[in-house]
Amino acid sequence: MKNTLSASTLALAFGAAMTLSAAVSHAEDGAMAKEKCYGVAMKGKNDCKAGAGTSCAGSSKKDYEGSAWKFVPAGTCEKTASTTSPTGFGQLAEFKAKTK
Amino acid sequence: MSAFNTNNFSTNGYELPASVGASLKPEHFASILHTPPPLGFFEIHAENYLVAGGPFHHYLTQIRQNYPLSIHGVGLSLGGQNPPNLQHLTALKSLIDRYQPAVFSEHLAWSNHGNHFLNDLLPLAYNQQSLNRICAHIEQVQQFLGRQILLENPSTYVEFTQSTFTEAEFISALVERTGCGLLLDLNNLYVSCRNHNWEIQPYIRALPLAAVREIHLAGFHREIDPMGEALFIDSHDAQVDDAVWALYKSIIQQLGPIPTLIEWDNNLPPFSDLLAEVQLAQTILDAYNTLPAKAQP
Amino acid sequence: MTFDAAWAHSLLNPDAELPADLRVWNHSDPAIRFAVYRNNVVASLIQALADSFPVINALVGDEFFNAMTAIYVRQHPPRSPVLAYYGADFADFLQDFPPAASVPYLADIGRLEYAVIQAFHAADMPSLTTQQVQGLLINTEKLAQLQLSLHPSLQTLQSSFAIGSLWFAHQGAGNIADVQPEIPEALWILRFQLAVEVLPMSAGDCQFLQALLKGQPLGAAAESVIEAEFDLIRCLNVLLQKELITHFHYL
Repeated sequence: MKNTLSASTLALAFGAAMTLSAAVSHAEDGAMAKEKCYGVAMKGKNDCKAGAGTSCAGSSKKDYEGSAWKFVPAGTCEKTASTTSPTGFGQLAEFKAKTK
Repeated sequence: MSAFNTNNFSTNGYELPASVGASLKPEHFASILHTPPPLGFFEIHAENYLVAGGPFHHYLTQIRQNYPLSIHGVGLSLGGQNPPNLQHLTALKSLIDRYQPAVFSEHLAWSNHGNHFLNDLLPLAYNQQSLNRICAHIEQVQQFLGRQILLENPSTYVEFTQSTFTEAEFISALVERTGCGLLLDLNNLYVSCRNHNWEIQPYIRALPLAAVREIHLAGFHREIDPMGEALFIDSHDAQVDDAVWALYKSIIQQLGPIPTLIEWDNNLPPFSDLLAEVQLAQTILDAYNTLPAKAQP
Repeated sequence: MTFDAAWAHSLLNPDAELPADLRVWNHSDPAIRFAVYRNNVVASLIQALADSFPVINALVGDEFFNAMTAIYVRQHPPRSPVLAYYGADFADFLQDFPPAASVPYLADIGRLEYAVIQAFHAADMPSLTTQQVQGLLINTEKLAQLQLSLHPSLQTLQSSFAIGSLWFAHQGAGNIADVQPEIPEALWILRFQLAVEVLPMSAGDCQFLQALLKGQPLGAAAESVIEAEFDLIRCLNVLLQKELITHFHYL
């Protein structure tokens, strides 16, 4: 299906969009405000400190090759109402069986 | 002797005031703009601002209008096997051109291997070969930026069998040959001296103290090695240790007031706690300033 | 191996031998001291990823996230000292990471989180003035030939999963238990007045925007949309209201 647009259709759309955006900006961004992203961490990721400790992340030998991997996703993903793909243990058990 | 000396590049029209500053953290942008704190200057890590646009530049631009600025690089890898990356250097130059900092500083350390950035300030052997190499790197950077840079003494956890200089001798030779300034990190100095059982006062005496343009103070984390000896880690997650405060007092008595930064990068406290550390350091600077003139060197 | 290659190898491989020529004054085991560096490298990069991908972290939990990113960090160390952009291929890694296969939408959430970062740090660019926009309407005959330059933050993302709803649920908007993950969603990601916004749009809206971003003029871009669900007025409204049109040119 292909849209064919006349110049007047385009002009009407553009005009309508302009009217809408002018109205909304007067209304302090009403309808779309709830979708605003507040989730960006205002953090700098570069610094010159050392991590406390000597042994946690740097020397852990955990790997998912072979049987050493022992973690399952266990966060908010467990709360999703998944219908077709069971989260958590079902698929993971299968994966473990394959890699052993 | 290098073509550069400190006189060519020392001020660039700006200077850090001989007072106490703090690291600028994006977490504090809004409160700093709302209530400008009584600080001598702010210091940023250059790499955090090597982004195209957006809030980081928006806030830094406004804060820069009210405070002197120091830019502190963490990714140039001056101590690396290869010359500083030209692309990174170009990005640093445009950041410096944009914000006109009073000083630009980097570390006596390395972090690049080929195309990979290892995100730590890694140590190097101190010998004639590495001295020649790092002098060339510093001269290249100063040439490219058209200004003096400050070099920071590192905190380290291992030494190398191939070292033939002490760290202080090595830094002294670098400063003499390149005309770079010294960013004296007293926490690093203390941590390294304790970790390697170096005597602190001879280390300080061997440093080119006349080249000190800035001092860093921070907190460290205590561990012990398998022999039960100190293994102190430069974690920037706590208040400045008493031993480091004592070093600071004696250095200020010797050199007079020097721009001083309180670094706090991890487990960030409320801004008021950070200001309390700043105030402690400021008290030490002020004590020097109120000495009778004849007692000053 | 050169000095830096030996260090890089040992830093990123906990089982590897230590680099040669290390010295410790009291002859204690240099591995303990070297572990400080190993820890710094890996832990700091895991932290950088946790800052950049907070929803991935929340979805799989800290333990899984830390173990997974430790593998990623070792396989894909940064190629630039600017850590703001570290993790550009993290979503691809998630796609092919078998232990995460039970969370099939994880990779697309990763793509969304990275798009948010890119929008956050994208270049600043002033938009057309109201007068300029009104001027465009004077030449209605030429509107179809209008080529628009758009704000550098603007991106589209389409997924077979409800990644927008899942992401909103982690921003305090909506309950994750109400989200049906298998419903496809299409999003526009942009920055407006310092804040990144993620807007639920349609697949047709995304096709339209992609055509504009490739430089097609307004008429051709609208005609190129083959998806049934497409709202031209909504698209133009967002472009105008969020001040996303930076330049124009008639072809």
